[in-house]
Amino acid sequence: MGIKKAILLSLVSVVLAGGMLWYHHRPLAPPAQATWEDVTGEAQRGGYRLITTEELGRLYQKDPQGLLLVDTRQEWEYRSGHIKDAVNFPLEPGWWGRRRAKSPLAKLLGPDKDRLAVFY
Amino acid sequence: MAVQLGYTKIYRDPLGYPAWEQAGLPGARTPYGLCNDTPGGPPSCLPSGWALLGTFLGIFAGGLALNLTPCVYPLIPITVSYFGGHSGESRGRLAGHGLCYLTGLAVTNSALGVAAALTGGLLGGLLQNPWVLLAVALVLVLFAASLWGMWELRLPGGLTRMAVKSYAGYFGSLFMGLTLGVVAAPCIGPFILGLLTWVASQGSAWLGFFTFFTLSLGLGLPLFVLAIFSGSLDKLPRSGEWLLWVRKLMGWVLMGMAAYFLRPLLPEAGWVALMAGGALAAGIHLALWGRTPATFRPFGWLKGFTWLGALTAAFLVVGFFALRGPGVAWQPYSEALVAQARESRKPVIIDFYATWCTPCRELEDITFHHPQVVKQAAQDFITIKIDLTRKGDAQAEALLQKYQVKGVPTIVFLDREGKELKDLRLVDYLPPDQFLGRLAAVTKSP
Repeated sequence: MGIKKAILLSLVSVVLAGGMLWYHHRPLAPPAQATWEDVTGEAQRGGYRLITTEELGRLYQKDPQGLLLVDTRQEWEYRSGHIKDAVNFPLEPGWWGRRRAKSPLAKLLGPDKDRLAVFY
Repeated sequence: MAVQLGYTKIYRDPLGYPAWEQAGLPGARTPYGLCNDTPGGPPSCLPSGWALLGTFLGIFAGGLALNLTPCVYPLIPITVSYFGGHSGESRGRLAGHGLCYLTGLAVTNSALGVAAALTGGLLGGLLQNPWVLLAVALVLVLFAASLWGMWELRLPGGLTRMAVKSYAGYFGSLFMGLTLGVVAAPCIGPFILGLLTWVASQGSAWLGFFTFFTLSLGLGLPLFVLAIFSGSLDKLPRSGEWLLWVRKLMGWVLMGMAAYFLRPLLPEAGWVALMAGGALAAGIHLALWGRTPATFRPFGWLKGFTWLGALTAAFLVVGFFALRGPGVAWQPYSEALVAQARESRKPVIIDFYATWCTPCRELEDITFHHPQVVKQAAQDFITIKIDLTRKGDAQAEALLQKYQVKGVPTIVFLDREGKELKDLRLVDYLPPDQFLGRLAAVTKSP
């Protein structure tokens, strides 16, 4: 390797390392809590409806069999406590997670397109 | 955005389980260590039937992946030199020898699994013993020196002769495998800590044996292939600029491993100096040393990239060390401290850790040294650390029971009343921004 090339690459490495150090030490804002408007907007775009805890509680107590409860949190969260009879289906955020979830989710929900399912 | 599947009655409960639990509606939990809720049945996590086969296939694949670690490097030249001597024999017989060799390797490595199963978590502690670490590092440095051509790695003549004479034929190959397994076993230990812990928690020597046997079969498969073809390997051109360079690189990877093993023994500054110096030396040796002009273009590029990578790594190591502020100020556990926290209505962070656990170290080095995390913790929290590196401390054992801690790392958050916030509990590495989110959730809870 020529001296010129070595020096040039050394300079590049200084810039690279500096960039990584800056990225790691950049100030962080704690993740914002989602507001109710965010949640309703998301539901509209996603084509699903929202349900409150009370309503869900009523539905559950009336007919626990006619209702599929899906816990989309991580497995360790599900283990530490979940709605009784809920099944765990960990969903990863991001388009890749959604894409991968598609066919196992369809299997979980079954062929009946009018089935009542609640995600949380 | 959501997954679109065409169902009509899909709802989301945005408040989720915490609100459900608060409303006093029925919930259920599956504690760690229990895999089924069936009442009366023995708590068992052991898969059976096809699932068991799947598990073992996974372990085998994991063993194959272990070939990406440098633990097998020292075995490559030995394998070639041993099987090169068998080159006159037929493919079938060579395959038989290779199989015996592989079995021998696997049996020795399986001792690790049995030891883990019988001694519980002790093995993790043993891998942390300073003398063991020093010895492993030393052996790695020796092998690196051999790859650089400073000395020729040869089996002691006596050993080879003994293997061939006293256990003629296939037994010789088996014996070789048994002996050489010793080289790889301590080296792969840190990479499979999770598997060791799992085996230890199951406590069955047979399961430990078969788990590690399968793992070693995966680990040794490339060596098996190498054994069969090592006879024809002799006919290949031995050296060449390219091959020598690859050997140099493998040597440096082994040196890196040695540094990794030495880490717990050195003070922070010494380790940083060692790493930075090592990266620089590797860069010079691999990219600048030797004036042979690059014979083909990609090789020149490769050297350029190596130089860039080595130098960047050296700068990063020094930079991180120089810019690192103080970490979270941890205190040892005491009942009085927790009571005091409850009185002053401060939430508590309890960090269960062990020095041999990699995610614990990541948490400490990155998350618990992030200025905002440090500030937030000092302001609003009482911070307690419990060291589980060595077993047998009565107080630590009692705390493990009390908080149902199943492994390290485990980070427990107590609210202002001293009750645990179970849904916030952490059992893995979490980057600083998300950790700040958890801290915010803790301070918000009443």
